[in-house]
Amino acid sequence: MKIQTTDPVAHPERIFYRRCTVDLKTGSIKIEDIPCRNLEDVLGGFGRSFQQLAEREIKTAYCAENPLIVNTGLLTGSSAMTGLRTYFSSYSPIKKSKQGMSAAMWSAGSGKFGAKFKWTGLDELIFENRSEKPVYVLIKETINGPEVELKSADHLLGLSTHKKIMTLHQAHNDAHFAAIGQAGENWQNVTMGSVALSTVNQLKSGDDKLRFAGRGGMGSMMGYKNILALVAQSEDKNLPISDAVKKVHTQVIKGGGAARLQPIKRGGGGGTWAAYDVMQPFNAVPINNYRPQGNDLPEELFRENVEKNYDIQSAACYRCGITCHNYISEKNADGSRGEFIAKFDYEPLNLLGTNIGIHEAGQAGRLIQLCDNYGMDAISLGVTVSYALSYNERHPENLLFNGANFGDYEKICELVILAGEGKLPDIGKGSKYLSELMGETDYAYHIKGLELAAYLPETNPGYCWAIAGGHMSMGSYGTLIREGISDVNSWVKVITEDKLHIVGFDMIGLCKFFDITQGIGTQMVVDCLKSEFDFEIKPEKIKDAVRRSFLLGLALELRQGYTKSEYCLPAEVVNNPNPHIKLPNITNKEFIAALDEKVWNVFDAELLKINLNKI
Amino acid sequence: MQITVSLHGVFRIDRFKQKMLKYREDSSAQKIIDDLKIPVKLLGIILINGTHAKADDILHDGDTLMLLPLLEGG
Ligand code: SF4
Repeated sequence: MKIQTTDPVAHPERIFYRRCTVDLKTGSIKIEDIPCRNLEDVLGGFGRSFQQLAEREIKTAYCAENPLIVNTGLLTGSSAMTGLRTYFSSYSPIKKSKQGMSAAMWSAGSGKFGAKFKWTGLDELIFENRSEKPVYVLIKETINGPEVELKSADHLLGLSTHKKIMTLHQAHNDAHFAAIGQAGENWQNVTMGSVALSTVNQLKSGDDKLRFAGRGGMGSMMGYKNILALVAQSEDKNLPISDAVKKVHTQVIKGGGAARLQPIKRGGGGGTWAAYDVMQPFNAVPINNYRPQGNDLPEELFRENVEKNYDIQSAACYRCGITCHNYISEKNADGSRGEFIAKFDYEPLNLLGTNIGIHEAGQAGRLIQLCDNYGMDAISLGVTVSYALSYNERHPENLLFNGANFGDYEKICELVILAGEGKLPDIGKGSKYLSELMGETDYAYHIKGLELAAYLPETNPGYCWAIAGGHMSMGSYGTLIREGISDVNSWVKVITEDKLHIVGFDMIGLCKFFDITQGIGTQMVVDCLKSEFDFEIKPEKIKDAVRRSFLLGLALELRQGYTKSEYCLPAEVVNNPNPHIKLPNITNKEFIAALDEKVWNVFDAELLKINLNKI
Repeated sequence: MQITVSLHGVFRIDRFKQKMLKYREDSSAQKIIDDLKIPVKLLGIILINGTHAKADDILHDGDTLMLLPLLEGG
């Protein structure tokens, strides 16, 4: 970024971001400095990319005119903790309205690729058209500024995400990587392809310790464009951390959300996985396609039980003190750490474990590993598989695929492998596609075409208004369990005021665990912006920009043909309430109807002011 | 009075899963939280007889107090 002002609100045009546009058809590459139009452009991430997507009228994701935008946030690559995010934005091949039009979508991931990308001197990379031949893209820092080159990727074809990255790692020093797996390569049959991002732990150990931009099929979009990987090669820019930022870091580590995620030996709760222990007393851990049965089966994946047979290690991305994830490895006979299996984050663990009837940690780990290596979104894959298993449970006389049932590890592995290789499009295209094909949509746990995160919809009617996946773009998923809030008016406030602010993290380059309760319109973020860029900005102005971006996301959904009736929970939740859930019922017809009306009243008034033609 | 105290997640480490404890009448949930040295920064949910409650809520004989860590998954 080139910054010539201390006031990004009054003078965004004095801040320039460096964009590279690559025409994959002609091979032309143009690098230019673009003045920001508003604070959203300055902050970056989806706040900027959605304005660009709004300028295009795209009906279907797989078309030459649909761009793939790779960008970062203002604090990506800065000294602020968690400032590692990379964003991939495009019209999505999996998130589609009932009319069949693709929705604008972004997906975010950590690892070190984002920081390396920023340090090349580039803020944004836009891919136009598609390449005839498979390529990878080398983005290099040089003394003359960033350089971008397309290189043949024939040697990467057919390799897993991890193998692609390790192959490129041999050829490019001081670089980090974003790669798709076989799933993304088979984009015609897999619309849930993810983008894997390399980590320091991965490159050091040689194990498949990746992070992912999983949601919305951005890996399939990369595959469609015939880009198999991105390489960002630059020197690390580890500037000293100012006292102001150090103070912020102390608040981050000790503050509400992050404290819970710290490793147990540091006095924390042990990563996102610990959500199991909090939800199980309410019978709210998703099991067998989101239908808890009031039993203690989820407890088999409690840490205390997994630790008996497996080695668990707390893990963090580069320079992050939050340490939100865990690695699970085999345990040798002498108790020492054996072969690495997979990362243990809450979402993939539940959706490729308990929610498909797999209660053995090693098996869940192996399924996560398969999913990661083929490069699929663990949420979309897990939920589509759980739909298929529930179909088989309901129709023993008319079994789908290989007849897999909940808990059939071998058969589920087979489904995952076939989907990853592009040989099972009915799974690879997601639960909306499969359920419409089977004519039983009530049991498909997606909203607006995007599969739900691993929080029961019975606990979160806010899912309906999430603009890019339930738990990343509407922070209401823990509200009922955490606070017991069960009246309509409070939920209206939760959805329309407090919890939509979670999307701000996907603008600025930080993880939501930086300050999950408050979002980015805070003094902590203001202090980081002052320290890094000498910006004078008020938290309220940041909040306003986040709200505008969220509303733009909603406006774009409606433009893509979504009707308000599509902002609804899976029908099974409403029509057949689960008696085992020990929480107030806030998803009955009356509650939902009242909530719907009140939430749209708030949003409609603001949506009227958005003119998509003027963006 | 007798209170059944049920702990979850990391709160069980070096403590217990469930125990019946004796307390003076009019004791609050906070008193038990303090006595058990539950770390404030990790305490997310307090339930009395299955209903969300506050730390200063007063307990009654026969109540069940559940203490759970914060929920911040993802
Ligand atoms: S919060 Fe988690 S995902 Fe984010 S940077 Fe830290 S360790 Fe990585």
